[in-house]
Amino acid sequence: MNTRLWAIMEKEWLEMRGNKMVLITMVLIPILLVGMVLGTTFFMQRMPESEVTGDNAPPIPPQLRNLDPKTAFIIMMNDQYMFYFMLIPMTLPVYMAAYSIIGEKETKSLEPLLATPIATWELLTGKSIAAVTPAVALTWLSFAVMAAGARLIATDAIFLALVRPVWLAGMAVLSPLFACLSVLSGVIASSRMNDPRAAQQLTGIFVVPVIALSLAVLAGKIFVDVQIVLYSAMVLVMVNLLVLYFAVKLFQRETILTRWKGI
Amino acid sequence: MIKTQGLAKRFGDVLAVDNLSLDVNEGEVFGLLGPNGAGKTTTVRLLTCLIAPAAGEAWVNGHKVGEENTAIRQSVGILTESPGLYERLNAQQNLALYAKLYGVDDVAGQVQKYLGMLGLWERRTEPVGGFSKGMKQKLTIARALIHEPRVLFLDEPTSALDPEAAKLVRDFILEVKGEGRTIFLCTHNLDEADRLCDRIAVMRQHIIQVDTPARLRQSLYGRKVVLQLQEINQAVLSAVRELPFVHQIQEEDRRLIVSMDDPEAQNPILVRRVVEAGGAIQFVTEQRHSLEEVYFTLMHEEAQETKQ
Repeated sequence: MNTRLWAIMEKEWLEMRGNKMVLITMVLIPILLVGMVLGTTFFMQRMPESEVTGDNAPPIPPQLRNLDPKTAFIIMMNDQYMFYFMLIPMTLPVYMAAYSIIGEKETKSLEPLLATPIATWELLTGKSIAAVTPAVALTWLSFAVMAAGARLIATDAIFLALVRPVWLAGMAVLSPLFACLSVLSGVIASSRMNDPRAAQQLTGIFVVPVIALSLAVLAGKIFVDVQIVLYSAMVLVMVNLLVLYFAVKLFQRETILTRWKGI
Repeated sequence: MIKTQGLAKRFGDVLAVDNLSLDVNEGEVFGLLGPNGAGKTTTVRLLTCLIAPAAGEAWVNGHKVGEENTAIRQSVGILTESPGLYERLNAQQNLALYAKLYGVDDVAGQVQKYLGMLGLWERRTEPVGGFSKGMKQKLTIARALIHEPRVLFLDEPTSALDPEAAKLVRDFILEVKGEGRTIFLCTHNLDEADRLCDRIAVMRQHIIQVDTPARLRQSLYGRKVVLQLQEINQAVLSAVRELPFVHQIQEEDRRLIVSMDDPEAQNPILVRRVVEAGGAIQFVTEQRHSLEEVYFTLMHEEAQETKQ
């Protein structure tokens, strides 16, 4: 691997390791989500069917109609959580991404860094990969814990629904790509703004389309299968490369060094 | 080693550097003096390819600014005004990062060499956030040297340091100079410039004057010898006035201040003549103008010229 890219990633991870608050907040969300999936499954399985389905329950989609209503309803609930799982890598590294350039400017470490032979793409890619990797690793780890837990407490139908190919493909491919997109956007915001909070808020906006998409899928408006996941992944790879290209173009070394007087 | 021709930089309406032309020779310590806002840091940033010139040309280490920026960045070291260290990382990690960014082959060896040389090896595993200002400055110097650059840019290397740390940094600069590296030093500390620099340039947007500190003094004030006598009498004064090489005499209390061109050759004649005239000499010294006086004189002249 490119030595300079690796050096930046290593530095970011070392800094992250030294910031306990960032580590705690990164671990907290996946733990909560695993707890919610397992807790919902555990308790709803033990509730009477009338209480689970109720009068105001949403209609059961056709692909689940061969199951008993309680199981179908639990699977529908868990499907919602699965979308949240896919959102984890998008939301966890937002702080790191938003702070990536502004933080260097604040601590006045950007000038000596830019005085080295590092290329802009190496700097931005290194920072992005460093932010995405732990978030994706945590997501996969928590998904594995959740699946293992579900194997122990859930019925076969509920467990198999949680680990069905569309979710596995989404988790393996879409989730990291969405995370890259979110982080690259954060890095762009960080290199164009001089307030980390504003950059963080702007980056948060990129989560909205994914939430809208997930709601459309849950409402049955869009049907997602493995093939669509893989096609989407290809499109996302292209989009990520395009965003990286723009991130490099928009990174104005001189402007960042000389005009961010407020920092 | 460093050459600029008509270099200029503007930030909006502000002209930061204007028509800057200078030559820095290999192995010399070159000092850049000037008031705040004179364009010293901008000059360093231009020469280290952190910002692009609006006009003019510059070469560093044989590479042209704007065309071979990566090669320039690879071959120079920079000590910025603020340390800009990663405070959560330890000293070893900070240096290793830069060694890798500069593509150093033996990262661990270089890190050990400079941490040892600057007395930081024992503290290598401590987070830099807990270091004193002096220790941080030593680490930033090590960072600037980690890839063994031939040219070193030092922007205010001793500002905000206590006298002990400042001396340590100055001694280290002299040590680095001894290795034949070219050092481009920006400083407000005139005494420091006087002690460290082979040549100095006084600038305010453009270069006002460049020369060795000694020649700058001479060009502005000439050379003067101070004779302290037990008593100054008319006979002594007449004897000194008669000497053909004496340009001017000033009398201050029991001191005679004599202007001449070549004290090394002319002092023995002067002393002999004073003694022959009955003068009892207590001390003979050369009157030294501080670099501060030189600096303010040049700045004053520049301001007058600008007004006109």
